[in-house]
Amino acid sequence: MSVGKQEALQQSLVALRTAIPEVRGVLIASTDGLPMAQNLSGSEDPNRVAAMAATALGLGKRIADTLNAGTLAETSVSGSNGQIFLYAAGGKGVLVVVAPANANVGLIHLEARDAARGIAAIL
Amino acid sequence: MSQPLKIVISGPVGAGKTTLIQSLSEIPVVNTDELATENIGKATTTVALDFGMLTLDGIPIHLFGTPGQDRFDFMWEILCEGALGLLVLVAGDRPQDFPHARRILEFITSRIAVPFLVGVTRQDLSRVWEPEDVAEYFDLNADSVIGLNATSTTSSLLATVRLLELVQAYDPLYAEGLQGKYTFGA
Repeated sequence: MSVGKQEALQQSLVALRTAIPEVRGVLIASTDGLPMAQNLSGSEDPNRVAAMAATALGLGKRIADTLNAGTLAETSVSGSNGQIFLYAAGGKGVLVVVAPANANVGLIHLEARDAARGIAAIL
Repeated sequence: MSQPLKIVISGPVGAGKTTLIQSLSEIPVVNTDELATENIGKATTTVALDFGMLTLDGIPIHLFGTPGQDRFDFMWEILCEGALGLLVLVAGDRPQDFPHARRILEFITSRIAVPFLVGVTRQDLSRVWEPEDVAEYFDLNADSVIGLNATSTTSSLLATVRLLELVQAYDPLYAEGLQGKYTFGA
């Protein structure tokens, strides 16, 4: 990946975190599970998060396909302590947004869908 | 109807896991191939799982294929839950992948007690490792390793039958299950 691309991805993550301060971490992975850019606040291993994001998105695509839901836009995981949203960023990328359990989901979707479109354009 | 038998197909990237399931499955295979961004010698790679089904002697067999890269090792564990047999494939023309195949085999069998068969693929090539030599390399009995060509349905079926024989030998309960008298994990 070129330096310019890498920087553009990193900037889009910084912009996303600035727009939604409550978000705990963001990451961009390739659809085959390698981290491309990240801004995680915890001790999460970006390699692992990227691989899991690709797995979840890949499986989501097949579920959408099998149940005639069309092209997958996003999938999510909700737990008692947090929620994770995974957005398809075009055909090549996955945008991961980690948020606390009580986060404003509407705001996250609004900002992250926009960011995913921007990331798709960069990729 | 008898309970389906769950078989997991694992092994390094490019061993032929997806191909084998496509050769065996009687239904359209559910696969999760994505474009590979690394140079792995092929355009796409499995990121979640492959799923296919076949029927042998009236027994439905569910085939679950894993991704090959270590970064997806969580899927090896998830997919092996409740598995009755494990087939670890390795490309017979890529001895550099043998240590990785060995690690995958150990990773899975150290977490779940499951009978396994090592399949040495690409036996249609002229310069390829023989299953006997791979058995020696892996320090396994010769009957735990089989040569096959994953693009051939017949060859893939023979490997599956061999694995089911090992499953039977592993635990007599499984043998009964294979005759439809015992139901698994219902």
